[in-house]
Amino acid sequence: MRINRDLSSGILALSFFALVFFVLIPLYVPVPSFIPGFAPPPDMWPKTTAVLGMAMGVLALALAIAKSKKPALEQAPDADVEDLVVTKPHMLRLAVLVVSFLAFIYGMPFIGFVPASILLLGVLFAMTGTYRHKWLMVALSVIFPLALYFIFSQFIHTLFPMGSLFS
Amino acid sequence: MWNELAYAFDLVATWQNALAIGAGIWAGVIIGAIPGMTGTMAVTLALPFTFYLSPVTSLLLLVALYKGSTYGGSISAILIKTPGTASAACTVLDGYPLAKNGKGGKALNMALASSCIGDFISNMSLFFLAIPLAAFALQIGPPEYFMLMTFSLVIVASISGPSLVLGVVSACLGLLLATVGEDIYGSYRFAMSENMEGGLGVVPVLIGLFALPELIKMIVFRQPENTQAMKLGDNRLSFEEFRGSIKSIVRGSFIGVFMGAIPGVGPSTAAFFSYSEARRTSKNGDNFGKGELEGIAASESANNGCCGATMIPLLALGVPGDVITGVMLGAFMIHGLTPGPLLFQNNIGDVYALFMGMLFSSALLFVAGRLTAGGFAKISKIPREVLLPCVLALCLFGIFSIATNPFDITVLLIMGLVGFVMMVLGIPAAPFLIAFIIGPMFEDNMRRSLAISRGELSIFFDSWISLGFLAMTIFFTILTIRRELLKRKARKRIQTN
Repeated sequence: MRINRDLSSGILALSFFALVFFVLIPLYVPVPSFIPGFAPPPDMWPKTTAVLGMAMGVLALALAIAKSKKPALEQAPDADVEDLVVTKPHMLRLAVLVVSFLAFIYGMPFIGFVPASILLLGVLFAMTGTYRHKWLMVALSVIFPLALYFIFSQFIHTLFPMGSLFS
Repeated sequence: MWNELAYAFDLVATWQNALAIGAGIWAGVIIGAIPGMTGTMAVTLALPFTFYLSPVTSLLLLVALYKGSTYGGSISAILIKTPGTASAACTVLDGYPLAKNGKGGKALNMALASSCIGDFISNMSLFFLAIPLAAFALQIGPPEYFMLMTFSLVIVASISGPSLVLGVVSACLGLLLATVGEDIYGSYRFAMSENMEGGLGVVPVLIGLFALPELIKMIVFRQPENTQAMKLGDNRLSFEEFRGSIKSIVRGSFIGVFMGAIPGVGPSTAAFFSYSEARRTSKNGDNFGKGELEGIAASESANNGCCGATMIPLLALGVPGDVITGVMLGAFMIHGLTPGPLLFQNNIGDVYALFMGMLFSSALLFVAGRLTAGGFAKISKIPREVLLPCVLALCLFGIFSIATNPFDITVLLIMGLVGFVMMVLGIPAAPFLIAFIIGPMFEDNMRRSLAISRGELSIFFDSWISLGFLAMTIFFTILTIRRELLKRKARKRIQTN
């Protein structure tokens, strides 16, 4: 699957700013019944930004559609921008990464900050797909979070969550 | 003035500041020398640590990191043909051929000497230009500030990426995210949870957006590294060789100062411009790209020449010109200081101390570079697959230590994913960051202006300063659209040929 980058950017921008304008602002930006003087209401700035964002989304979409009607040769990406082609394995790896992040966020209160960091670091090393330095990676995934824990708790006196399972 | 200078000297001449500058230069050179790690990452990663330092010490640490990383980018550019930072891209052209011919040490010494001279000239220009500009800035009120911020956002949006439209989309995202939390009149906006009532923390957003996407990209795309490091070889840079490049060094430094002082332009453009000027005017022009020391001198003096000059709009006007000064603005705000003309009235001692520390850091950069070039050269060989996951662990611990709030970790990871999606879609991150940082001031000035004018929009076009900024905004927008059209035409011409 090759993402048509310009088109995707336009669709994403338009839908995000439309969601903000039509759903999130009415729900989450309460406007007081009385506003003193000529002070603009609190929703004015988010609305202005969302409208500008929607306009840019429409423009990006129009430019992408105009570009797609041109011969294939003229649709090549700019030479100065990295062309990242997304395939199914890429999407799968991204999904696994998101799951590991979620596991860290939701698992950390139970198992504690340091064990959760050790696990996350181990998963990230494994996901790099390069195992030339596998023993170094195994050692680092344990030693590095422990070293950071020592530095931050000793010198900055940070109290890291110990985890409900261990306390 | 002399009293303030004496006070500033007392403030800056402490072992803590010397240590911060030394550590910043060393860490900056190390980070800059590692391909894939940038000066922006260096500065953002250090941000959590500045909470525990005094304002002057923390700013000196960030400035030293910036300078160190700008020079550090040349090490990997020369030895492994991979610029550590974008601004060292021109250094590759002559640095790597020299390293291949066994003159890597000579190339590194030229890069160091020209970086230090560029840096020194840039610091002096900051000293002489920031104060008059701040005095001028005292004349401007909320409407003029609003127009100035519009101007700087448009410039950053137009220069940061391939498309002005996507740059503005990115800026809108940043502005929107900056509205989360309590506004100036006490209303809560987008406060979907209790944690969001105070707004999103600057540090997790910055680090998430700039440090994490590289790691996610490496994991998702698994791009192989095919680099082979060259040996340092001939190390001695003769006086004759240095004298032959002095014209390019001085010119490059002033190009760096000029380009650095314009919001949004930055060191990469300055380095390219200086390199092309040196190539055009040098008697060795034909040798450029084949291993010419003057090419390295031109490129390195210009990119380091930007370091001090980018602070001119930040200190004098309170407007960050690029991502790094955007992060520094965040650091100022963390310490309760507001850059801009009032900083020169209320905290002139801190400003002079910063200037003095920056001059000292130029000298320290030279010493650190001379003593440890060989050691730094080895750093560029550290594999990214080992380094980047460790960076994430550092981010997690650093972010958590700021407020011991797990919500900041959530913000960090989400912003990392947002930054990655933006990277894949080709949406530049720099306008997002600048807009997120200046967003509250931008809105504040707009709302104040409208309150003063009783809702009349004409207040934004009343003074000649506002009109000047508006004219410059329109001019740069037209220039960007023209550039995009010309680029499209050129591509079409190449492809039809």
